[in-house]
Amino acid sequence: MAETTLNDDAGAENAEATAARPTNVLIVGVGGQGVIMVSKVMATLAQRAGFEVKQSEVHGMAKRGGGVFSHVRFGHKVFSPTIPRGEVDVLLALEWAEGLRWLNHLNRSRGTFIADVKRIVPPFACRNRADGAPLGYSRETPKDVLSRVRTGYALNASGMAERLGNPRVANTILLGVLSTALDFPEEEWLAVIEQFVPPKTVEVNLRAFGEGRDWVARHGEVGPDEEVDFSPPAGLETPPRRPRVFIERAWCKSCDICVKMCPERCLELDEAHIARMRAPERCTGCRLCEYLCPDFAIRVLRLPQDASEEEASA
Amino acid sequence: MNERPAPEKLPRDGSFDIRDWLRLELMPHFMCPGCGHGIALRALLWALDELRVNKDDLAVVSGIGCSGRTAAYIDANTFHVTHGRPLAFATGLKLARPDLTVVVISGDGDSLAIGGNHFLHACRRNLDMTLILLNNEIYGMTGGQVSPTTTAERFTTTTPFGNNEPVFDACEVAQAAGATFVGREATLQTPNLKDLLKDAIAHHGFSVVEVISDCTEIYGRKNDLGNSPEMILAQKREMRPEAYRNTVDTPFRPNPFNTGVLARRDRPEYLDVYRARTEALRRQGGGK
Repeated sequence: MAETTLNDDAGAENAEATAARPTNVLIVGVGGQGVIMVSKVMATLAQRAGFEVKQSEVHGMAKRGGGVFSHVRFGHKVFSPTIPRGEVDVLLALEWAEGLRWLNHLNRSRGTFIADVKRIVPPFACRNRADGAPLGYSRETPKDVLSRVRTGYALNASGMAERLGNPRVANTILLGVLSTALDFPEEEWLAVIEQFVPPKTVEVNLRAFGEGRDWVARHGEVGPDEEVDFSPPAGLETPPRRPRVFIERAWCKSCDICVKMCPERCLELDEAHIARMRAPERCTGCRLCEYLCPDFAIRVLRLPQDASEEEASA
Repeated sequence: MNERPAPEKLPRDGSFDIRDWLRLELMPHFMCPGCGHGIALRALLWALDELRVNKDDLAVVSGIGCSGRTAAYIDANTFHVTHGRPLAFATGLKLARPDLTVVVISGDGDSLAIGGNHFLHACRRNLDMTLILLNNEIYGMTGGQVSPTTTAERFTTTTPFGNNEPVFDACEVAQAAGATFVGREATLQTPNLKDLLKDAIAHHGFSVVEVISDCTEIYGRKNDLGNSPEMILAQKREMRPEAYRNTVDTPFRPNPFNTGVLARRDRPEYLDVYRARTEALRRQGGGK
């Protein structure tokens, strides 16, 4: 059973320092996942238990799908609302890469890492727009990460939530996992969750919370990979198609639009001021030059990789 | 017509190839470098290709001007008619051959000034055809005279000290006159323009699509608007997609033009009314 009370492994610290140190919970995720809701539950719960609570968050990124985090600190006396790096007791990640991004905030000797393996690929991970280009997303599997933290749980909470019938309760499942890492009675958790979720979803949220606790009970301290689907992110496996740009020299009127509009800066005007490919290897086949050529001189073809070279050299 | 070398044969990858729709022997076309009309023509042909319109069932009518010449490059039934009268011609054509898909390509001067009367009445009649209004704010072909859409203060050959006249908003005029589908898009957004044209051609009734195009050689040069890439990028600065209309703070973005579908109304189409009337009269045993 994973009833890990946070301060039991204080090691060299004496009892007095342990009691004085606040408990630090860092909740991270992507806008819209429910990071703020989780931190509100956490903060209210601690307040009800008579602790002093300080919470600070970054929000408003939901529209853009950007990273969101929330610091919750509670104890007998809390001075700063933000958690120093390396002092996080529980890191709760609603998205896999966000969890890895904040991993260095986790305390090595006493920290608990809880992460959903759901992957939300941020736009800047897709900067290479070529077909079949690798995504700039973390390749670390839960096994790699869990071996590096003291206590770690990686679970497919989003998949579990979908099976419960509401993909939005993934954060409540993670709350259930979190509840096993902290010393609060289960009824308190349930009461606070009931207070914060929309009235129509109370029932499914309470079931989700139980689901999270059960998951820990079933799997012990380190979650095995059996429920974790960690195939490479979509996009890696698409067969690469090689873009080729054909320019009809007789039709080009040197208007320069293709040269200036190409996002990859592949084109240039030659000595005769006719468009030509300068860097064919950079072309991603976006077809912007073809669309914007007023003279129909450019044709972009996305041919399968095995197209004959003589066609390609035309 | 002088012979030109045939363009090279290209392999196919399943995407739209404009060469299927062009009269290749006439290419390269006559338009100036960087002229937006070529992009608009591509969007039109792309839309027709995606709608799987048969070339034999398509009639493209155009008037005089730079816009008028664009129709000549389409490998289909095309008509190049008198200045300002493509809509009048197309009305007759559609009444005689209702089975044809009729597309009218016209310019701002052609449709709003010289053919303004026909524009209003075509909108009013609501005959099932599509008007593509290539708005480049000037009479380009005839030497750069001021047109009803020339922005205030801008220079043309007939307004050497700046244009003093207020501007026509073609889309507002079309809506007021009763067109049942009104849209606007800039040439910069070619795929969006294609989608808009697809909607417009598929629409049952008179549809107007205003295309914001660039005249780089005359209007751009006279007004110091920069070279072709700068002019086409300037469209991005000025346009405001209709979908965002309610979320943008209007006072902070002066002089925008809304893009997208601006109006879509349901009104009896002219030929439907006409057929119903003739049918009723026939049942009565002929009109008196």
